Amino acid sequence: MSKLTTGSFSIEDLKDVQITINTIVGAAKEAAEEEELGPMGPSPFPGLATYRDDWNLKLLDRYEPVITPMCDQCCYCTYGPCDLSNNKRGACGIDMKGHNGREFFLRVITGTACHAAHGRHLLDHLLETFGEDVPLNLGQSDVLTPNITITTGTRPTTLGEIKPAMEHAEEQLTQLLATVHAGQESAEIDYDSKALFSGSLDHVGMEISDIVQIAALDFPKADPEAPLCEMGIGTLDKEKPFLCVIGHNVAGVTYMMDYMEENDLVDKMELGGLCCTAIDLTRYKEADRRPPYAKVVGSMSKELKIIRSGMPDVIVTDEQCVRADIVYEAQKLKIPVIASNAKIMYGLPNRDNEPVDQTIEELKSGAIPGCVILDYEKLGEVSVRLTHEMHPIREAAGLRDVATDEQLKEWVDKCADCGACYLACPIELDIPEAMKHAKEGDFTYLEDLHDACIGCRRCEQVCKKEIPILSVIDKASQKIIAEEKGWMRAGRGQVSDAEIRSEGLNLVMGTTPGIIAIIGCPNYSDCAKGVYYIAEEFLKRNYIVVGTGCGSMDMGMYKDENGETLYEKYPGGFVSGGLVNIGSCVSNAHITGAAQKVAGIFGGRTMDGNLAEIADYVLNRVGACGLAWGAFSQKASSIGTGCNVYGIPAVLGAHSSKYRRALIAKDYDESKWKVYDARNGEEMPIPPAPEFLLTTAETWQEALPMMAKACIRPSDNNLGRSIKLAHWMELHEKYIGGIPDDWWKFIRNEADIPLTKRADLMKRLEAERGWEIDWKRKKIISGPKIKFDVSAQPTNLKRLCKEA
Amino acid sequence: MVDTTKNTKLFTSYGVTTSKAINPDMAAKMIKKAKRPLLVVGSGVLRPEILERAVKIAQKANLPIAATGHSLQGFLDKDVDAKYINVHQLGFYLTQDDWPGLDGNGNYDTVITLEFKKYYINQVLSGTKNFSNVKAISIGRDYIQNATMSFGNISREDHYVALDELIDNL
Repeated sequence: MSKLTTGSFSIEDLKDVQITINTIVGAAKEAAEEEELGPMGPSPFPGLATYRDDWNLKLLDRYEPVITPMCDQCCYCTYGPCDLSNNKRGACGIDMKGHNGREFFLRVITGTACHAAHGRHLLDHLLETFGEDVPLNLGQSDVLTPNITITTGTRPTTLGEIKPAMEHAEEQLTQLLATVHAGQESAEIDYDSKALFSGSLDHVGMEISDIVQIAALDFPKADPEAPLCEMGIGTLDKEKPFLCVIGHNVAGVTYMMDYMEENDLVDKMELGGLCCTAIDLTRYKEADRRPPYAKVVGSMSKELKIIRSGMPDVIVTDEQCVRADIVYEAQKLKIPVIASNAKIMYGLPNRDNEPVDQTIEELKSGAIPGCVILDYEKLGEVSVRLTHEMHPIREAAGLRDVATDEQLKEWVDKCADCGACYLACPIELDIPEAMKHAKEGDFTYLEDLHDACIGCRRCEQVCKKEIPILSVIDKASQKIIAEEKGWMRAGRGQVSDAEIRSEGLNLVMGTTPGIIAIIGCPNYSDCAKGVYYIAEEFLKRNYIVVGTGCGSMDMGMYKDENGETLYEKYPGGFVSGGLVNIGSCVSNAHITGAAQKVAGIFGGRTMDGNLAEIADYVLNRVGACGLAWGAFSQKASSIGTGCNVYGIPAVLGAHSSKYRRALIAKDYDESKWKVYDARNGEEMPIPPAPEFLLTTAETWQEALPMMAKACIRPSDNNLGRSIKLAHWMELHEKYIGGIPDDWWKFIRNEADIPLTKRADLMKRLEAERGWEIDWKRKKIISGPKIKFDVSAQPTNLKRLCKEA
Repeated sequence: MVDTTKNTKLFTSYGVTTSKAINPDMAAKMIKKAKRPLLVVGSGVLRPEILERAVKIAQKANLPIAATGHSLQGFLDKDVDAKYINVHQLGFYLTQDDWPGLDGNGNYDTVITLEFKKYYINQVLSGTKNFSNVKAISIGRDYIQNATMSFGNISREDHYVALDELIDNL
């Protein structure tokens, strides 16, 4: 008997009868497994334990979990609250370490679920709109889905063929979530292993989310010259009606843009976004580089600031990273809020089944503060028409004006200098000091707070005088805000196979010193400009700087002395010295994807169902380091953990110590710094880098040398190692001071020593470390503990060794 | 004399255990009593008024300095024993018996912390508090709940006075 497959069937002799079979449970997975795909690794469609012994525990042996609890207590079940301080065990038996491993893990699976749910929503919506057969045209690449392929062993080429990978991520997320239940997993190390697995699934969910929208919504396809888009509050024309969209999921926004284009409204209004929806709306229909008209307002920390400015005439929210007080704040300025995604409905009434005219009337009159509209056709029409209706009403009522100077003075004079705002401010801004100076007529101190302020209004929550402190800072910073005009290259999607082929050798040898990935949210601990300084420093040094999400925005928000942003100054290709805006948060999958492709395409490793081997290659040979400088969300923890399982280290801002778990190696323990040489299975010592997989830095100045050092890999050739050491040592000297204490640990022979300081550094090796130098031949005779062998094949997997 | 113990207000809590609020003389006594003390300074130390006092503390009590963040640049031309280390990494190493310390002579029994964002040092010290016997004495201007002992919340001006008193008592 032949098996049923999906598709349409006509039955002979029965006229006009057609049966359509859409899905057969498990059939797609079965088909994927049966298909001849070439070599397959050991782990297609992995479960909770699949990577544990073969890879995750090996990583965790060197990169040890460092637990920093947020609370002494556990309040998980009705046994508690239990006091776990000093690593005590609670009533259920779990200890402080296990509980905090669980806390970190819970954040990672929450982030993974967010991206997977985002992917599912987009996949279903686009399948329904465009059908199963939309080809995955993502640019000039054969490896279209590196994360999906490594995880599942499948190589989808159409929207429909993605479904097995989507189902796998969802099934495993259910398994992972189950382990959080009280009385299940209790060992910290196993929560770490599960978190790493979840991280790998997170990059599958993100990859699905982004490739389906690139393919179906005509986004730039690995385009190094994707158009530049205007960015910043200062770029908005205040005279025009303004439709403001906030969130991460662009599906609904495409209907607003279609409506604007069909009704010739593009020049008659502003459409601007915050957070990743902003990034993705500037990618819509940009495959052919049409002049972009939608604007990026800014990162998540601008959400309240833009509302307080009074400029938005309508706000549409979708999902993820949307503030919980949008309706509360918008209502004060009569800005109607439309919730367009079932994940955030704000308790608002649903108007999917009401006539459009009636809904517009209700919102316009203020009868309801906002509504839910999940029907995208209606959403497109209501949001755009309502924007035009609200604009004159709000203008006439003075709701689009900023506060007056008199109002500012009145607010400032109310301050009683109690200091509560300083205590409440999550980044400890000295608001009382700025208020004191403002009272004396000097508003520059308030102005100085603007760039660092993350717009959370915790200060206002505790102010007994009910001063709207955020509005005070905004009013005092009007000059700066008006000048917030930057440029960002539209998110270009994947790194193409051709780009990997031309950069692969440089990356593995170290002659391109590394990939620096600047990603994530704007919960900065010092200033938003830190990411700009970091990006600029690495670009000048010919690193490849890739960005996503709010990080991509903030890199483009600042200008040099010639008035140029980084996106205008540096090329958009994946080349040495290139600044590559990959796209939104979900585009992060293409960053791991690029490293994976170096292993697969350049290194010739089997990708299909082969995570450990690909990750092993990346850890030992691809110099890359992530920076999530303002990571605030659970998603940031899952993105970072997904990088970690693939051997990519990440530096986070100081706030991220609150994730509770870092992965840091003992740089002093030589037993941790050994790998196998795959040619013969012999142990070979390696230098202590990267020293961490996940850790935090105190200031952006400290992050710079940490990241440069974290790009050093055992596979560097002499030239590559000397280039990497030169950058690390120069950055250390410039930002921290002096020469790093452990630079000598990275020297295998004289050719590794940075050329410009070679003689001086060799003298130091002789004097300080007792190394033997032949000064006539300028060669190191003895001293280094690690040897250089150009054909060595470093690996952490004994099973890959020939004589193993 | 500044009373550095009276304001121990918290915005949020790390749970049931809290640090003991102490005055500068007590802080000096504890520092003098320590067998293997380490002065841990954050990047806020680069403010000249603080830097000058941090150097005096290190010199008078003969304390090695773990200069975290980008604070090392402040100590390069001073006559003190300062070394750079990342504070998150330091927090981990302090919990490990096999860490040879910054000087190769072994781990420390007491850390004295100064000039950090309070959320950051609280987080780092939650590791040492729960997983080691290392004592942490915070002499910054914020009350640090996860230290063993700490100054309370004080104004910047009072903080300078408190540090001067501490120096006098060393």
